[in-house]
Amino acid sequence: MSSHEQNNKFETFIYKILENRFKKFLVIFLVALSFFGSIMMIPNKTVLVRMLPSKSANTFNVYIDTLIGSSIEETKAVTECVTSIIQKEKEVTDIESYFAEGSPLDYAGLVKGSALKDGEQYAEIVVNLTDLHERKEKSFDIVHRLRPVIQENCEPLTKATSIRMIEMPAGPPMLASIVVELFGENNKKLIDLSKEVASILDITDGLVDIDIMADHSYEEYQIKLNTEKVTRSGLDVTQINNIIYLAFQGVNVAVKSSMSSNNQIPIYVQLSEDSQTLDDNTLENLQLKLSSLKLMNKQGMMIPLTEVATIKKTKSDPMIYHKDLKNMVNVTAETDMVSQVYPLLAARDTMIEFFSYEFEVTEQLGLSTYMFDLKLKDKQTGENYLIRWDGEMKVSLDTFRDLGTAFIAALMLIFIVFVIYYQSFTISSIILGGSFLSIIGVIVGHWIADMFTVGTFFLTATSLIGFISLMGISSRNSLLMVDFTKSLIEDKGIEKRRAIAVASATRAKPIMLTAIAIILGSALLTSDPVFGGLGVALISGTVAAVIISLIFIPVLMDNTKAI
Amino acid sequence: MKDESLDHIEVTNSAGKLAKKFLHNPLTLVLAIFILALGLVALQMMPREENPRIDISAGSIIIPAPGLTPEEVKKIITEPLEKKLREISGVEHIYSMSMPNMALVNVVYYIGENREISNLKLYDKIMQNMDEMPKNVMQPIIKPFDIDNSIPIVNIVFYQKNNKLPYNKFLTYIEHTQLNISAIKNVSKTALKGERKEQYNVDIDINKLAGYNLSLGQVVGGIQSIAARTPNVNAKTKENELVIMSIKSALESVKDVENIIVAQYMGSTIYLKDIATVTDGIEVQKKQSAQIILKDGTVYDQITLEISKLAGTNAVHVSNEIKEYLQENAKELEKFGIAYKISRDYGVRADVAVDELVHHIVITIAIIFIMLIVFLGWRESLIVTFTIPAILAITLFIAYVSDQTINRITLFAFLLSLGLLVDAAIIVIENIHRHLHDDESEHQSMDELLIKATDETGGPTNVATLAIVLTMVPMIFVGGMMGSFMKPIPLNVPVALIASLFVAYIFVPYLSKKLLKKEVNTSNTHTEGES
Repeated sequence: MSSHEQNNKFETFIYKILENRFKKFLVIFLVALSFFGSIMMIPNKTVLVRMLPSKSANTFNVYIDTLIGSSIEETKAVTECVTSIIQKEKEVTDIESYFAEGSPLDYAGLVKGSALKDGEQYAEIVVNLTDLHERKEKSFDIVHRLRPVIQENCEPLTKATSIRMIEMPAGPPMLASIVVELFGENNKKLIDLSKEVASILDITDGLVDIDIMADHSYEEYQIKLNTEKVTRSGLDVTQINNIIYLAFQGVNVAVKSSMSSNNQIPIYVQLSEDSQTLDDNTLENLQLKLSSLKLMNKQGMMIPLTEVATIKKTKSDPMIYHKDLKNMVNVTAETDMVSQVYPLLAARDTMIEFFSYEFEVTEQLGLSTYMFDLKLKDKQTGENYLIRWDGEMKVSLDTFRDLGTAFIAALMLIFIVFVIYYQSFTISSIILGGSFLSIIGVIVGHWIADMFTVGTFFLTATSLIGFISLMGISSRNSLLMVDFTKSLIEDKGIEKRRAIAVASATRAKPIMLTAIAIILGSALLTSDPVFGGLGVALISGTVAAVIISLIFIPVLMDNTKAI
Repeated sequence: MKDESLDHIEVTNSAGKLAKKFLHNPLTLVLAIFILALGLVALQMMPREENPRIDISAGSIIIPAPGLTPEEVKKIITEPLEKKLREISGVEHIYSMSMPNMALVNVVYYIGENREISNLKLYDKIMQNMDEMPKNVMQPIIKPFDIDNSIPIVNIVFYQKNNKLPYNKFLTYIEHTQLNISAIKNVSKTALKGERKEQYNVDIDINKLAGYNLSLGQVVGGIQSIAARTPNVNAKTKENELVIMSIKSALESVKDVENIIVAQYMGSTIYLKDIATVTDGIEVQKKQSAQIILKDGTVYDQITLEISKLAGTNAVHVSNEIKEYLQENAKELEKFGIAYKISRDYGVRADVAVDELVHHIVITIAIIFIMLIVFLGWRESLIVTFTIPAILAITLFIAYVSDQTINRITLFAFLLSLGLLVDAAIIVIENIHRHLHDDESEHQSMDELLIKATDETGGPTNVATLAIVLTMVPMIFVGGMMGSFMKPIPLNVPVALIASLFVAYIFVPYLSKKLLKKEVNTSNTHTEGES
């Protein structure tokens, strides 16, 4: 009867603790110490926090944006540079490139505006990898390794090109890990500010793929018609517009609808390649080209275009963005294998320091999901600007806020249920308090897991869900203990201290069994990049919960008069 | 008559009552089989997807305004429009871009807003205010955003290995394939990417134009005058018979277009071919194109066929039918020299996710089974092991009835509950086991012992399970993208936990009666508790 001997040993062990005041104090002290010790691991950055970790996938995308006004040939050259680098990877099965439009829409592209892309400055590449189960290197490791190589080699090919590597999101898709929204009345100044913000993000560790979502202005030639000359020469403005468009852009002038093929085939007219192409991008050349374009007036006379028009070189007007009726410029950045929390805080500190020269910087007060916002007031003009942090951080804060509120509500409900069941506030508090302590195990477990993984093992949203469900598991253990002790005292008239010791010894087996079931059940989870946090939380949290229920709860039970 | 003999056993809670009711009931076995069958049906019938459905409602409004600068567009179009859109309830953000010659406004609703209603509200608001549209501005284009149609579940890349077919024939063949795939059940939208339509390109040489002293307008007029087409013309005879005349189109081929007379110059006729080259080609003005680079480094121009499925249908079935169609036509494709590659298949990914779940469950059950053999004995272990599929079957069936799909996060919910749902059964079986080996219970009948043992654990187990359920339920109220994304967890974990209670109270005592025997062990002298 070895199990009975074990029971006896454990019973004596608990009884000895309960008998000795010093030992009881030691137990409480050790629990308190480990509780605060583990909580401190979070601000200490011993355990790092992140919303959701990266997920290994069979594919990733590359977004290429050249300067607005670039030709498709320039964009293609950048794309070819990127594909030539990716092609050398042995895990790549094939590469699809899409020019002047987005690739077939996916979860990430949905919120990153991939569907709206239409223009010669865009290209997207879809890289398909070998199956993730048969591949050693994770897709995010490949991206991490290729990113600097690609950006270094291909971005300088054309001016102001941005190349972004887009990974499949593990959770819900977001515009970017870090989104800085700049609000203010003065659009020109906003664009200048956005450049400064971008350069701050650029020097912040862990941030990559920085992109300003605002128009760059580019050079354009304005053809100004002299209306007097137009009228005198018997031409009209619409005719001139149409002809210029037809010559360089081309127009479908008619359709061929034949009996032989059922399709309508458009007849498309434009100037031939040779006739269209300019020798170089200068005013003189354009003038020369346009002078050879002749228009026929009502009298049948041929009039060169340049007779009635003058050409001027100007800068294009930048696009104006609004978010919720306010002027806005966006700066986005992605995190490279790290949590977005720490680079955000670092970049924010740099910004406060940097902008203090020119602006009065005030920080947002109080706890809200916009608590990292900065208000800037120009020292000279008195204009106000707002730096707002959106993206993954905002979603995380929103989620944690909702989850936290819901969790507190749940705790109160559970407390009420316990009070109804036991008719005692003290017992209910002991059980609830005891189950909260499983957080020790959760945090320490992540610390240990981090030591054994190659990268960083983050405390994530899934860990939090694991912790929440642990509350229930751990309170079940304590509940069974309390119940058994009470029935021993009431039904069998056993003395309290002995009853507690007997209860913890008898309950030890089912508590261990359920704990082992949870640990073994979650063991397979730990290898998963996304659900790993949950697995670790459940395993280490359960271990902590078992120790708490079997040793700490008896001590508390002994100290209370409620039982 | 057996049932009556149970009446004297006192029970204090639902656990005891359930155990008592089902212990001798012959229908208990039927119920068990029925539950397992329901689970199997649900597993087969439930639509499988990779990611859970998130209700995103949004729409874009595009207003072309030729000749206006961004500042003007903002003043006369964007700002008044934004103000009007603010009036719609349920709108979270309005983004706008005032560009040269165009305004683009995106409206994003809160996550979880009904999509159809949101789209209607957007149309309604724009149509109501059409009278306030400024002059010189073209009709607004409203594009509601549809997530089910927008995200294709299968992409097929078509390319020509040795350019056997002219591009036009290649495209026609793919369009034909597209049409056939559209006809497959539950396929919603199909679209092509990177394709260029057939067209006749007339490239005019500006020098020759100048040489003949012609203007571009004349050339266009010349082409347009020939390309007209009229419908059939009817006439009648004296006997009221119908005579139908059709005017044959003058343009049948590239040759016909080349021979269009553009003008007379110095007494000689100028044909289109004199000043321009005419080719039967593809859209040159369309800059969109696509390529595929294969493993061996060869580059081909490609056309991607994107296929989406209807909401709430099974991605696995749709993708399998598409693949079947391609298989059937593989020979024909081969004959034309057209190669294809399935570059995205969410059906397979959904299937892999579900298989992984089943795989996980099997391993976990095996591990728990072995562990319980060590601690409790193989009969007890068998009983607990049975409860897992039963609980999962109930949960799956309820998920199926409540219109959920099997996806990545449902899988996550099941994995999470896997460790929790054996608890109730383990606690009950452990208590039965303990009592069976206990001296005190020697004088009890087997039935009494089983019911008492179940009853004893009922109270705390109920309260504790209620506590876990209460921690999960509030997650339903988490808003935003993340909230919708993880909704399957609060929806399924509580169901699994409550199901685990019922299964533990009903089937564990029942199976214990069938499988376990009271241990006749008089040598056991251990007594619990010393007074």
